[in-house]
Amino acid sequence: MLKYTVRRFFEMLLTIFVIATATFFLLAAVPGDPLSDRADRLPESIRENLYRKYGLDKPVLERYVITMKGMLHGDFGESVRMPGYDIQKLLQETLAPSARLGLQTIVVGVGVGLLLGILAAMFKGTWLDYIIVFFSVLMISVPTLIFGLLLQKYVAGEMGLFPIIGWPSGEELWFGGWAYTVLPTLSGCFSYIATYSRLLKTSMLDVINQDYVLAARAKGLSEPQIVRRHILRNSFIPIITVLPMSIAFALTGSFFIEKIYAIPGFGRYFIESVQSRDLSIILGQTVLMSIVYVAVVFLVDILYTLIDPRIRVGGKA
Amino acid sequence: MEQAADNRFVIIGCADADKEAIARPTITYAQDAWRRLRKNPIAMASIVVLVLMVVLVIFGPLLCGWEYDYMQPTLKNLPPSAEHWFGTDMLGRDIFARVCVGGRVSLLIALVCTCVQVVVGCAYGGIMAYFGGWVDNIMMRVIEVMMSIPYLLVVIIVMMVLDNSVPSLLVALCVTSWCNTARAMRGVILQLKSSEYVMAAQSLGAPARRVILKHLIPNTIGILILNTATSIPNYIFQESTLGFLGIGLQPPNTSLGVMISLGQAAMEFYPLQLIFPAAALVLIVLAFNLLGDGLRDALDPKLRK
Repeated sequence: MLKYTVRRFFEMLLTIFVIATATFFLLAAVPGDPLSDRADRLPESIRENLYRKYGLDKPVLERYVITMKGMLHGDFGESVRMPGYDIQKLLQETLAPSARLGLQTIVVGVGVGLLLGILAAMFKGTWLDYIIVFFSVLMISVPTLIFGLLLQKYVAGEMGLFPIIGWPSGEELWFGGWAYTVLPTLSGCFSYIATYSRLLKTSMLDVINQDYVLAARAKGLSEPQIVRRHILRNSFIPIITVLPMSIAFALTGSFFIEKIYAIPGFGRYFIESVQSRDLSIILGQTVLMSIVYVAVVFLVDILYTLIDPRIRVGGKA
Repeated sequence: MEQAADNRFVIIGCADADKEAIARPTITYAQDAWRRLRKNPIAMASIVVLVLMVVLVIFGPLLCGWEYDYMQPTLKNLPPSAEHWFGTDMLGRDIFARVCVGGRVSLLIALVCTCVQVVVGCAYGGIMAYFGGWVDNIMMRVIEVMMSIPYLLVVIIVMMVLDNSVPSLLVALCVTSWCNTARAMRGVILQLKSSEYVMAAQSLGAPARRVILKHLIPNTIGILILNTATSIPNYIFQESTLGFLGIGLQPPNTSLGVMISLGQAAMEFYPLQLIFPAAALVLIVLAFNLLGDGLRDALDPKLRK
């Protein structure tokens, strides 16, 4: 187990390195550079200085070495689009809104989703089941984007129940300003509700037919006890494998929700820097996101073997 | 006992004594799945909807008689009428024709990306799982890297290097599309690899290519279809996202995503310009999702009758 963990850890580092390299060369392969828009109007000498400032006057391979060296110290370079900003400063400002939105979305979405999944499995074949199944298919079929736009138009615009755009800041960054967060959370959580209710329902129906559930019923356990102690516990295994990925995904921001509701989050800046080809910020954000993902996958693998004794690593152990 | 010949017993012969024969016709897995799918009204309804959509996106612009990019500056932002079935947009273009052309892009993406995903995913996953060892390790790392680079970045870079046309959008979406399928295939084939029929084929001297193509891939067809059915809505969503962010197709090309993005601009006063493309998108995705659910039930061997 320890050997496996150590090996996976080094593989993880290698993966992150390869991702950074791939991103760097992908960005370098794009014709033109981020400065040309601004620099074309400038005199020759200033233009040269500008290029030198961002290191864009050097050949690609030399830039690669410099970038990688900087990355080891956590230095990704200065933003081209927003002078004075680097990835750390951007992270400080944008991570909190994205993380709060992500957490709220996950809590509401996964909570409601699991509840509906349990209900649908317990009342299989009744109208309650059909209604839940119908709504979860409908929710999966409507993109988050359209939910966001429609909620914004009708609930915030026409009815005026909530602010149309904006996000709490300052002292209210984490707690408070709830009115601003209702609609973004709502638009984001639908897809989680649908995914998790379907996943849990399928998984529970698999477990319900197992012999040990029959045995528990034959022993005369009460229905809630069977569900809680025997069915739920075993049907949570697929959920546990998916949940960390959802959390990682939600924490790093949602592109559309942040764009629709003008939330100053991580995802929105990613789009903006990609559109303006802000090399250092793109690279920084990509590497950060991939670190989060790869770390989560690593943790899930480890957790998985701990939770479910049926899974053994590498055939031995 | 010589007198046993008794007319209470009659020799009936054994010519038609085929009581042992299997009364029901044997049906293959595919036939059975198709039979069960046909009995599922929701799945059949979604097939009908999809066929209608295909017909509509091909012939729709002819039907209503407007070109999707024909501008009439005097007829801006009209409500739906007999002339313009879905009304016109801010440049006086017929929205019905535009929805049809946009739907064409969405369905084309679904079709092409799915084909690439299935072919590449099967080949990659099959090779990876069949050979195992260091081949598996390296190929798996490649997938991990591909999946960790944000697809938005890949798509944007491909669109920058190529141009903002439909073919380059297809290339961009296809680049990473096969990773999930390859992973799923790897999982299944790893299980199947130790089956007796694979060993039999190997001991008869079948080369790897034949074992993978003839024996392993056909046995994964259920998983493959499910994987495909769930990824089709994803492609359509991705296209609409790109269009919305203004990264996808550029005018005069249009797609449902581009229309939703334009609709958002006009949402304040002309909400129908947002609702029509959004509804078309939802309808297509809903039909694919319901069909996918029906297929899952039909392909589940546990439910076989």
